[in-house]
Amino acid sequence: MIVFKTYLRVVKKCLVPIIIYTAMLILFSSINTSNNDTTMSFTAEKPDILIINKDNSKLSKHLVDYITKNSNIIDIENNEEKIQDAIFYRDVNYVIYIPENYGNDFLENKEPEIEIKSTGDYQASLASILLERYLTSSKSYLRNNITEEELILEIDKTLENKAEVELTSTLDTTSLTKANNYYNFSNYCLLGGSIYVICLILSSFQSENIRKRTIISSMEDKKYNLYLLISNSVFALILWLLYVVISFITVGSIMFTMHGFLYIINSFIFSLCSLTIAFLIGNLMNNKEAINGIINVVALGSSFLCGSFVPAEFLPDAVLKVAHILPSYWFINSNNLISTIEVFDTSSLKPFITNSIVLLAFSALFIIVSIIIARNKRKIG
Amino acid sequence: MNNIIEVKKLTKEYKTLKAIDNLSFEVHDGEILGLLGPNGSGKSTTINCILSLLNYEGKIKIFGSDMSPDAYDIKKRIGVIFQDVAVFDELSVYDNIDYFCGLYIKDKDVRHEYINDAIKLVGLEDFTKFYPKQLSGGLLRRLNIACGIAHKPKLIFLDEPTVAVDPQSRNNILDGIKKLRDNGATIVYTTHYMEEVEILCDRVIILDAGHVIAEGTIDELKSLAKIEEKISVEVNDLNEKYIEQIKKIKNVEDVSYDNNVLLITYKKGKNNLVDLIEYLKNEKIVYSKIFSERPTLNDVFLELTGKGLRD
Amino acid sequence: MFIHNLKYSLKTLVKNRMLIFWTLAFPLILGTFFKLAFSDIESNEKLDIIDIAIVNNDNFKNNEILKESFKALSDKESSDQIFNTKYVDEEEAKTLLENSEICGYLIVLDEPKIVVSNSGINETVFTEVTNEIYANASTIENIVENEIKNEISVPNYDIDYETIINNAIAKVTESKANIKDISSNNLSYTMIEYYTLIAMACLYGGILGMSSVNKNLANQSNTGKRVTVAPTKKTVTIMSSALAAFIVELIGVALLFLYTIFVLKVDYGTNLPLIILLSVVGTFAGLSLGIAVSCIFKTSEDTKTGIIIAFTMLGCFFSGMMGITMKYVIDKNIPIINKLNPANMITDGFYSLYYYNTLDRFYLNLISLLLFSFICLALSVYSLRRQKYDSI
Repeated sequence: MIVFKTYLRVVKKCLVPIIIYTAMLILFSSINTSNNDTTMSFTAEKPDILIINKDNSKLSKHLVDYITKNSNIIDIENNEEKIQDAIFYRDVNYVIYIPENYGNDFLENKEPEIEIKSTGDYQASLASILLERYLTSSKSYLRNNITEEELILEIDKTLENKAEVELTSTLDTTSLTKANNYYNFSNYCLLGGSIYVICLILSSFQSENIRKRTIISSMEDKKYNLYLLISNSVFALILWLLYVVISFITVGSIMFTMHGFLYIINSFIFSLCSLTIAFLIGNLMNNKEAINGIINVVALGSSFLCGSFVPAEFLPDAVLKVAHILPSYWFINSNNLISTIEVFDTSSLKPFITNSIVLLAFSALFIIVSIIIARNKRKIG
Repeated sequence: MNNIIEVKKLTKEYKTLKAIDNLSFEVHDGEILGLLGPNGSGKSTTINCILSLLNYEGKIKIFGSDMSPDAYDIKKRIGVIFQDVAVFDELSVYDNIDYFCGLYIKDKDVRHEYINDAIKLVGLEDFTKFYPKQLSGGLLRRLNIACGIAHKPKLIFLDEPTVAVDPQSRNNILDGIKKLRDNGATIVYTTHYMEEVEILCDRVIILDAGHVIAEGTIDELKSLAKIEEKISVEVNDLNEKYIEQIKKIKNVEDVSYDNNVLLITYKKGKNNLVDLIEYLKNEKIVYSKIFSERPTLNDVFLELTGKGLRD
Repeated sequence: MFIHNLKYSLKTLVKNRMLIFWTLAFPLILGTFFKLAFSDIESNEKLDIIDIAIVNNDNFKNNEILKESFKALSDKESSDQIFNTKYVDEEEAKTLLENSEICGYLIVLDEPKIVVSNSGINETVFTEVTNEIYANASTIENIVENEIKNEISVPNYDIDYETIINNAIAKVTESKANIKDISSNNLSYTMIEYYTLIAMACLYGGILGMSSVNKNLANQSNTGKRVTVAPTKKTVTIMSSALAAFIVELIGVALLFLYTIFVLKVDYGTNLPLIILLSVVGTFAGLSLGIAVSCIFKTSEDTKTGIIIAFTMLGCFFSGMMGITMKYVIDKNIPIINKLNPANMITDGFYSLYYYNTLDRFYLNLISLLLFSFICLALSVYSLRRQKYDSI
């Protein structure tokens, strides 16, 4: 009890930086979830297209109509620098420049040229399929003495043909993606937050003079370390709880479903694991100054390598293989699994349970190593 | 006698606090001047003003010239040891001294010799390759001093150099300061330890709340005290009537009896101890211990301000 | 004196492990993380081969155009391959879809139908390409129909159907859209991450400048009091301390550059002299920031380090380090923030060298950086002009 009391006293002293750090992390993840990052999310189906139409003919208007129907038209000031920036940052995937007099030149078979700028990604390919389809069919129908109206009519006949599309999945993918992003990002927050606070507090307990006192005190060192661990778990729990509560606000109703429940369970297991990681690091070092460096390396490192910031499917295979040795990998892997489960039964939950066991095994390992280190530290110098 | 420093009507006000109030004094060539006063009495502020680190009102002359931040000719002959340890954690003992000494002396060979002298003076010969973090508190203080005096200054300021220092290092430091004086330096030494002042200083200025309250040699200051001698006697169960009798003995100023200790203070006069012993013998009073003390500077300070030095 | 102070300033800077970690090691580590995380993103954005299935019923078998088109698009030898197609019956197609072995399947009933499990990019591509094939098929049908109508209206009853059909097919396949791609080649937006990294390293270098200058100021550090009472000119010691910090900073940024170029394969464009100029000016801006923080704020060195780190990270956040879109959003909507943000001046400078053919934008950034440095230094000089302090 006395360990816990002292722990709370130390927490009280460091309360301001703890609150600031925690608030910052939570703010970051909320911004990250609400900000629909076009470069990092790949769910958009329709390409973003900008059309600069200098022609006034019916034909070019028809082309614009057709593209508009099948894409998201982006409105940007006609300023070449702004357009360039928009392409670079993928605000626009495809820019179509229709030259002056295009309609007439086309009908007169002068083969006018349409210029495009493309980002070269998925959406740009889709855009180019759209544009090419229009241009090839219009060209195929081109014959002598055909009027603009006739041509448009015939093009329409072609473009009307569309395959019917049937969706089989019942999953609410948008909400699930949001929840998944939020909980994947929590890897950074839970890990960084735990390490920061727990190391800050432990470094007070580990300072040479206090360590000397506790070593010579009558309390068994195993017990002492256990008490410290339990005291620290209080903070880890608060952090986790806060994170979960905010997920109900930012992610919304999907958190009340079985999917949401699994996300919460998974993040709880990972919180325990973060706690043990933080405890291990706290036992390894006595230097208050080094805390910031270590947080950044450990928390940022495992977030980048395990797919917390960038979806795991976009990471190189070699990186993912190496990431297996980090707890974060198993946590994020579980999150990604949850988002694809359609029916909850033993076979679909099996990989999730395996991951959880791995996480718990990691935690046990970290506790054992911390205790061994703490034992060896009983002698000074 | 040459005045090395002349301070005239020095006044320093912080926003709400008048730290120094119309202070005037001189420092003579070749002396160790003690600036004695409780914490917050303005000792460090006075030194910082003399060094032109702070804005102030009044006039300060060092070596007969006006002191200013650009008075490099004066600065060259000054060495300062500040209250807080001012060394680089990243540099070794030798490098630290070399760096600060190098700000004064360009010639490398001379510097090398001077640094070794300084190291010898403070007794850090075995630690030249150590880093400050590896030194104990006392050794760190010694390094702090070596950094301030390696360039062999004519005038040295020491601002409480012995705070939180073990007895061995303290003796080493005090011996070193005497050696510096013997080599011809003038020293201004601030402290709130009166014992140090008594063994070290030729002359003392006592400060309180920014004022000089007394100035002179140790003996001169002590003569300011009304009492001349204190005698304590350990004696069991002393009867009230004896106390009244003792009060009437020649020269006795005051008598108190507390916890089986009889404390008698005397005004000027001689043979007080002999008289007392004779009285005790006559009255057949059994006593276990008896000793006589001269008054300390603390008594003087107490006398002048009504409070102790270490309050 | 200048050299003496320079020598020891360098020694103290290099020996300070925390300083070296933040200014040298941390950017290298972060850069490595970027590389590990981002290296595959852009190649993943290109179209992969999509696994699909087609229900092999009679309707499909009888539709020559459809059959041929999918065959061509699934040809493993061809560079135009988009699909990896399995021809199966409907039951099997359903099972494949449930097991996520294919992204969808095509079944031709009266009308073609595509069945997918969700709506991702691959599903969209599958649908669009199928529509394209249908469009072509219908174009051919329409042309043939028109031709036959023409022949009949002539009137000519001896119609050579085969020629008409072949002509129509030829017309459609030969009709190439006249499109000219004028996109820039340097479109790799993850480069921005590395540019912000350089910006971060430059500004973090300010910590070196701050720490180095701090050691000379009587109102900032104990050693500063010592230096101040020594018979040396303040300008000399401060200048040489600042130079020492600048040297260490430059070495740090140079190492980071070499690392990003040779190990992380970052592309800075081709204009090497301007790249070097920008990084030197960026480093100088960091130094000026550090000196200003050192002179203006009267607080502990730890807090000053905190101020520089917070300023830098906020700047890097706005210039896209934590999400490249952020820079674009700010540039587009609240440009004033990034016009005043030195981290963005550096990032945007590199961006304009990499992406733009003209140099206007680059020089604007360069001049902004110099202006920023100048303001920082002017503020520092102003606060240094006082030789004595009211309190220390």
